[in-house]
Amino acid sequence: MKVLIVDDEKPARDRLRQLLDDLDEYTVVGEAGNGEEAVRLAAETNPDIVLLDIRMPGLDGIEAAHYLNEFDSPPAIVFATAYDEYAIDAFDARAIGYVLKPVRRERLARALEQAARLAAGTLADVAADSRLTSRRKHVCSRSQGEIKLIPLDEVNYFQADQKYVRVHHAGGQDLIDDSLKSLEREFADDFVRIHRGAVVAANKIERLAKSEDGKHHVVLRGGSQEPQNQLIISRRHLAEVRRRIKGG
Amino acid sequence: MAETPSSSTIGESESQAYLPDFCATSTVFVIVLVAALVAIVLTLAGTAGSGRFLFELSKTALFVLWLALLGCGLMCLLRGKLEAAGKTRAFVLGFLILLAMCLLLAEVAYQLTRIFAESVIIHDSHSGFLLRTLLISAIVIALAMRYLYVSSEWRRSIVLEAQARISALQALIRPHFLFNSMNTIASLTRTDPRQAEEAVEDLSDLLRANLNTARDRTSLKQELETAAIYQRIEKLRLGDRLQVRWDISGLPMRALIPSLTIQPLLENAIYHGIELLPDGGEVVVTGKQDGNDLVVSMSNPVASDSERSKQGNRMAMSNIRQRFELAYGSRATVAVSDDEDRYTVSLRFPHEESET
Repeated sequence: MKVLIVDDEKPARDRLRQLLDDLDEYTVVGEAGNGEEAVRLAAETNPDIVLLDIRMPGLDGIEAAHYLNEFDSPPAIVFATAYDEYAIDAFDARAIGYVLKPVRRERLARALEQAARLAAGTLADVAADSRLTSRRKHVCSRSQGEIKLIPLDEVNYFQADQKYVRVHHAGGQDLIDDSLKSLEREFADDFVRIHRGAVVAANKIERLAKSEDGKHHVVLRGGSQEPQNQLIISRRHLAEVRRRIKGG
Repeated sequence: MAETPSSSTIGESESQAYLPDFCATSTVFVIVLVAALVAIVLTLAGTAGSGRFLFELSKTALFVLWLALLGCGLMCLLRGKLEAAGKTRAFVLGFLILLAMCLLLAEVAYQLTRIFAESVIIHDSHSGFLLRTLLISAIVIALAMRYLYVSSEWRRSIVLEAQARISALQALIRPHFLFNSMNTIASLTRTDPRQAEEAVEDLSDLLRANLNTARDRTSLKQELETAAIYQRIEKLRLGDRLQVRWDISGLPMRALIPSLTIQPLLENAIYHGIELLPDGGEVVVTGKQDGNDLVVSMSNPVASDSERSKQGNRMAMSNIRQRFELAYGSRATVAVSDDEDRYTVSLRFPHEESET
């Protein structure tokens, strides 16, 4: 079994490696010091299990797990934490594997044996319960094996594109696997749906404009040259969009 | 995490209960007792002729008990509303309501005795009786209110002090820190036994410093040493990500400071600042003398996207504020400046040295 170790603290990584060396059936295929590196290394080394610290700078463990879970054959995940009472309750409630630091060899062995892939949707629940991350700070796009993390605050809008969602962001456009509906729900605080096929970042909306045929559309900040017909606001969503712009 | 909001909510509910529970049997008993004593005092002061003492006493006691029990019942009903009105208003309102009740009951008593007993019980004139009742009850109620006010203040200060002690304890042994340190030591025992040994010694010193919180204040030298030990332990874990610059040569090392204040500040700076930055950063500690005051500031870089770190910081700060308030009252200030990329806490407190 191939294991990837992820922790931002070197002694903690050393400790896990020492314990894994004692256990015959596991080989360490890599060590990552943060969430971004973890996702990249996991794509390269294709581990069976990822040992993932929860509290890390940048991309934390829960968010990293979210992207690992989007792999075509996602690795099983075992979380490691020193003390996060809410997260631990959340893991227990959903039978997600975890180890507590200082890590015991027997406990680690058991957690690795029982390690299972996370069911879809579980992590969003964990994130909500654990009070660690209320939501993701990135969306993740993959093309030809390349992992690309797009910071949420650079996203202008999400647009439905056949079976994918196209992310329009400061750095261009990318396709992601999430559904528009789940994105809308997950990022409800900062994004607003303007019609059936588009969800827009509320703070990127400069104003609403009315075109000659009487339809309303969104004008984005920063003079980005988006074709108007993409950002038309449907009658059904107009009131809500207006409210959000006033409110924010 | 360690900074659960529970401590603050406990504080609020405790400080709200400044009126005793008038519905409780024990309170009613005390009130009956006090009413009986008041009746005896009034009768003793009032009787001129001998032989009529018991008769006068029973009359007065009946009236006073009646007032006291009805007043108690009234306060039992109104307590919730009064507490919600705020402390001073609760006492003033309570006083006025009780006084109005006494006046009303005096009038009722007067009318009743006139109808049924043809004035043999109350000898005063109508207005004289009302005035006398009003004055006596005003004085007694005012005394009682004053007593309740003082005792609630006293209880509040005890709660505050206990909270300060608890937060002092919580300030140091943050479970996150303890378990992470243990994990580091477990790791070092194999890779670098000598360093593991030092880490165990440092951790012990730190825990010992915490056990000494019986002393409210300690010397700056001691407090800074504790913080330095803490820094050494965290450095093992965080490596180069943690840099600390101490710019404190201007501080008189013998000066006193509430114990366990600088170390928790450093802990906050690391927990809510450095740990959330992929490349870490520098914590800057500065200290100087400013007239009769000492100023110690600690600033740390913060991750730009990190709302949770700010919230955590605020919670931890209320602990330290509380302890400075208890030690110095209004003579000390704890100021926080929350910039885009740095979080700074400044402690300003009077320069005092121990007499010995």
